[in-house]
Amino acid sequence: MANLTVNRLGTSFATPVVLASGPAGFGYELSDALDLAQVGAVTTKTITREPKAGNPQPRLVDCACGALNSIGLENPGVEAFVQTTHARIIQLPLRRILSLAATSHDEMEQLARQAAALSGYDAIELNLSCPNVGGTITGANADAVGDFVRAAVGVSSIPVLVKLPGDSGNLLRSTEQALKAGAAGLTLINSVRGLRIDWNTGRPFLSRVYGGLSGPAILPIALARVFEVREAFPSALIIGTGGLSDLGSCLEMLMAGADLVGIGFGLMVDPELPQKLAGELRHWLDERGMASVEEVIGIAHSGGLGVH
Amino acid sequence: MIRLDRPLVAAVSYPPDNLIKRNMGARVEDKELENRDATLNGSHFFWQKAQLIDRRTSTRYARVLLRGLELPCDVEVGQFVLVRYSDDPCLPRAFSVMSGSDLGLELFIKTEGRVREKFAAAPMGTVFEVRGPYGTPYASKINFNRKYVLVGGGSGAAPLLHFRRKYPHLVAGEVYGFRTEDACDLLNEVDLTVESTTGLRAHEKLQSVWRPGMGIIACGPEAMLRLLAQQYRQEPDVYVSLEARIGCGIGTCLGCSIQTSTGMQRICKEGPLFALEELPWLT
Repeated sequence: MANLTVNRLGTSFATPVVLASGPAGFGYELSDALDLAQVGAVTTKTITREPKAGNPQPRLVDCACGALNSIGLENPGVEAFVQTTHARIIQLPLRRILSLAATSHDEMEQLARQAAALSGYDAIELNLSCPNVGGTITGANADAVGDFVRAAVGVSSIPVLVKLPGDSGNLLRSTEQALKAGAAGLTLINSVRGLRIDWNTGRPFLSRVYGGLSGPAILPIALARVFEVREAFPSALIIGTGGLSDLGSCLEMLMAGADLVGIGFGLMVDPELPQKLAGELRHWLDERGMASVEEVIGIAHSGGLGVH
Repeated sequence: MIRLDRPLVAAVSYPPDNLIKRNMGARVEDKELENRDATLNGSHFFWQKAQLIDRRTSTRYARVLLRGLELPCDVEVGQFVLVRYSDDPCLPRAFSVMSGSDLGLELFIKTEGRVREKFAAAPMGTVFEVRGPYGTPYASKINFNRKYVLVGGGSGAAPLLHFRRKYPHLVAGEVYGFRTEDACDLLNEVDLTVESTTGLRAHEKLQSVWRPGMGIIACGPEAMLRLLAQQYRQEPDVYVSLEARIGCGIGTCLGCSIQTSTGMQRICKEGPLFALEELPWLT
């Protein structure tokens, strides 16, 4: 049977399928729905220094092949997270990535220091690309990306990943700055800024007007970003996220160069999707006599599968 | 004002068990509650296939019956299901259940929007997929020592029709508001308050039905709930059932979180029913 294990960041992920930050909650809510042994890692909801109530309703509106969300990083804040939620997450039998967001270098450093005091996480993911919290998107400014990464790397003993936007800033420059500052890898991409208008009322659907588009609609955008970053930075770790809904899209993402694939929107539609994907991926590899999922990662850059 | 103190943390971090137990009506046995918790937290994460086996439509509404071998029929009053057709990768739609029995799940829906149009047009036998039921049953939240006027607006009538069937002894009166006569033939088991013929809207009709001492359970458009909330905010046991675009349905995505007097709560998990005093923004 084909091996789905992916060894990266000095650790081993049971499968390349990881739960992206957001729709997965803190992971344990899904333990009844999911066989967590089939999941490579859970990425927590993004934690901020202060508690955040998130945005007013409406926070969701759908569209062809996706949805716009405007949750606004609702979370209990780091102190409450440490006191309550943390203990439940570290009992989960899979790799854990802690997602953090901050609005300044100092806040990032303080938050990362608090996170560094926690054991049980395999990496920190800096969410520098949420489109729903106002202000400028840090991830769109390459210098700011480097600055925030340095803040976190300086106080952290575990690998630091950076989640960058797919639709703003110069992604290659931001990636370069992140890696120079010591980031161990990238999560590409966050949801893409979008808008829908209720034509019955003539007003935007979402309370904050714009939202983040996710779902199959953004798959080609995510693939392009992963492909170009892989091409420019052959050894950077990439978690490819954006519109993965079936085996085919996961294979595309791996072939484009993602080491791991993140499921977000797909989890909202079908809580069982991650384990279905892991199963289907194993079956697909078996049918082709491939021993390991490593054999497909990045092959779109090197002539493909060798079939005609 | 957004409150960002400890209750927010409690509401976000914990499953709703505590909440359910705290608000539990006197006549619901602990045993029954345990079973209900098991249903809520347990196995309904899977998409189940269900066939469209009956449908009656009007211009704007449809009453549909879905039946499937493994379709959950033990739906409590106030719970909802998510429905999608084929393996559509888009967000499913949430529908309150109008009745759940061995015959299947009955839904009363407005026929606009992607999934809804499909419901209105699909041939009998079309296979849909259903996930759920989700949400905290009304019975876990209301005071059982009171009788209620049920106030529905449009397709918000669905859970109330379920309520009257299951708890007839708790119903003191009913008001189902519709703009036009369109839905009359679909809901012939109850009298509708039709604005185009009577000139009355649901909250206006309610004034001649409600008497002091009665509670209210309302489900309908936010505008209707607001008008009702302003009128009855001082009264005890007034409950409103809220609607939002549902994402995951299981409480993880926070797409349906709302502010309440005790912090953020999720319509899909702690809701959809809330006591009026929990929702200061509605009044």
